Amino acid sequence: MHSKKRWICLIVAMFAFCVAPAGVSAADKLIKIGGLYPMTGRAGLYGKDSVAAAEIAINEINAKGGAAGYKIDATFNDSKVKAAYAIRVAKRYISEDKVNFLFGVVSSGVGLAVTEVSKQEKKIFIGTDHASTRLTVDNFQPYYFRVSNNTFQSMASGALYLQELKKTKPWKTIAFIGPDYSYGHSQFDEIKYSLERLGVEFKVVGEYWPKIYAPDYTSYITSILNDKPDVLVSGFWGGDTVAFIKQAQAFGLFNKMTYFHPDAGGNYELMSAMGDELPLGLILGARHYNNWPNTEQNKNFVKNFKALTGRYPTYAAEGAYAGIYAIAAAVEKVGNPDDTEALIKALEGLKIKLPEDPDGFTSYINPETHQMIQTQAIGVTVANKDFPPATRMLGNWKVYKAEDLVPPSDYIKMKRKK
Amino acid sequence: MDFSFFIMQLISGLTVATLLFLVASGLTLIFGVGDVFNFAHGSFYMIGAYLAFQMISVLQVNFWLGLVLSGLGAGLVGIVAEVFLLRRIYGRKHEAGFQILLTFCLILIIDDLVKIIWGTEYKTIQRPSGFTGPVQIGDLYIPSYNLLIIVVGIIVVVAAWWVLNKTRAGKIARAAAVDREMLGAMGINVPMTMTMVFGIATALGGFTGALAAPLRSVTPGAGVEVIIDSLIVVVIGGMGNFWGAWMGALLIGELTAFGIVIVPKWATLFSYLVMIIVLIFKPEGLFSPRKIRKV
Repeated sequence: MHSKKRWICLIVAMFAFCVAPAGVSAADKLIKIGGLYPMTGRAGLYGKDSVAAAEIAINEINAKGGAAGYKIDATFNDSKVKAAYAIRVAKRYISEDKVNFLFGVVSSGVGLAVTEVSKQEKKIFIGTDHASTRLTVDNFQPYYFRVSNNTFQSMASGALYLQELKKTKPWKTIAFIGPDYSYGHSQFDEIKYSLERLGVEFKVVGEYWPKIYAPDYTSYITSILNDKPDVLVSGFWGGDTVAFIKQAQAFGLFNKMTYFHPDAGGNYELMSAMGDELPLGLILGARHYNNWPNTEQNKNFVKNFKALTGRYPTYAAEGAYAGIYAIAAAVEKVGNPDDTEALIKALEGLKIKLPEDPDGFTSYINPETHQMIQTQAIGVTVANKDFPPATRMLGNWKVYKAEDLVPPSDYIKMKRKK
Repeated sequence: MDFSFFIMQLISGLTVATLLFLVASGLTLIFGVGDVFNFAHGSFYMIGAYLAFQMISVLQVNFWLGLVLSGLGAGLVGIVAEVFLLRRIYGRKHEAGFQILLTFCLILIIDDLVKIIWGTEYKTIQRPSGFTGPVQIGDLYIPSYNLLIIVVGIIVVVAAWWVLNKTRAGKIARAAAVDREMLGAMGINVPMTMTMVFGIATALGGFTGALAAPLRSVTPGAGVEVIIDSLIVVVIGGMGNFWGAWMGALLIGELTAFGIVIVPKWATLFSYLVMIIVLIFKPEGLFSPRKIRKV
């Protein structure tokens, strides 16, 4: 019996060595990153994709010798999409694992909690996904940086799209539906703000706030149909979008109004989940597309991700990929991952060419908000079988210049005062 | 609010209520008969949805057959869970912590199993042919699949009433809810009865998951999303009260449907408010007779 136990211990110990991160040895100088992503529930897909893409970036960078001689060593933990839990993990990362950077987070609710830890502990937090503008505007703190678009940028481009739409398809009224938390409310406020700022005339005839992850939207749909808006602005993400579109389609909603979903509607997982069921002609946007821009860098990113995971990436992947490259670039500039204040200076204004950048544009971090400034495209669902299992992708792109999507300084000042 | 919109909202509330009831009925059945609050009931709903995806979307099994098989499959998983795990916690209501711990663990295990088997991508099932379009009633266009769900709900209510009240099996189940020891003394195989009740309840959960799948997204975590609302329904109706679950579901479904129209910003609050009011003034449930439950 005893010898059997000893054998088991030995085998377990051997396994433990085998799974230690490959390519990083204890002797290496390390950039330590503490990552937080959801691994369960509806957001689990984004978490898994983010981790896979971060690992692609880490392998690429480490294979070239790392940044300033430092290899990247990242640990990822489940955020459980719970703010209190994520705070505990973030604190443990700092006190026990001695990480140089906090990294990740899908939910804006969790992001707002982790940014508080980052502020207290004076540790840089690189946000790769969560989109609520509050992190870079209302609740801004100097240790926070976001490397993907926020809802303000999506809604600013959305407002420009709607302004143009008036010429071809005159509309007057809008209704809004989105999840009842920070992310949904930011989008509604921002689309109204941006439309008003452009001087576009509109009237809100209905607003709806279902719970996040609500399984059923039937009663919302019948009420929206009764409101008869010209445009339905939607602020869902992920599985909620899938459920809403399936249920709305049964009521013929898409024949009766323009469906407009500029922040997360164009996510690839919607296309892959719905196949032929996805109606044509929906106007959708996302933070990264597998088929736009048509640059070598984007094609390679999508190809490498497919090779590693066997599936095409959701938008979340590219944010994590960008985050790792931003860290590497900042460490390269400063020469070490420990001088936090110097790293902040290095990140402010940092220019970095990303898969989502069209030719002739390079993403950069706005020093005032610590927000990555990027070009935004919005498309329409069209038949396209290049990225199976999806049979619809976005096309007929309209592209908006990064500079036109930045919140004006007085807006930032007003929000920060509040 | 014009009349046709009123009817439309009533019907959409009814669809929501029916699916709520179908989940809550299994939950309340297990509670009534076994005194177990099965937190993992929603996970059987999710298993049903994934089995339906596997059979209908992947293996191209006939839709209706797929629905039934998904229900049976979820019931089978339920029976395995009952025999190996839940059987050990019957009659330990005073140690409610164990029940919550065990059934909550089941949620995590089933969620992870689903992720290992099917991955985290969202899955969908197409509505069956013949039920893709709307039905026109007057100037109303109602999706035929939603009507189907309502009809199925009514069939389940009637069938359950018949089984529970008119058949020997139903009487045994009801007797088990009152006094298991006495039932055993009368020569009934009580453990077998409990296993069957659990199997039927989880099969009902799985069937509901499969039935709802063409209208919802099939994702890991789908079980947790339905369990909270079902719990509210069960509490309002009275824990273990089958009819109460139906009335509770109708109340919540319609209250939310009209709440959305009248005060859209606070619509989701209604169900919680009703639950709180019920818990304060009639904690045994709105539709339970006012009596002290047998200890």
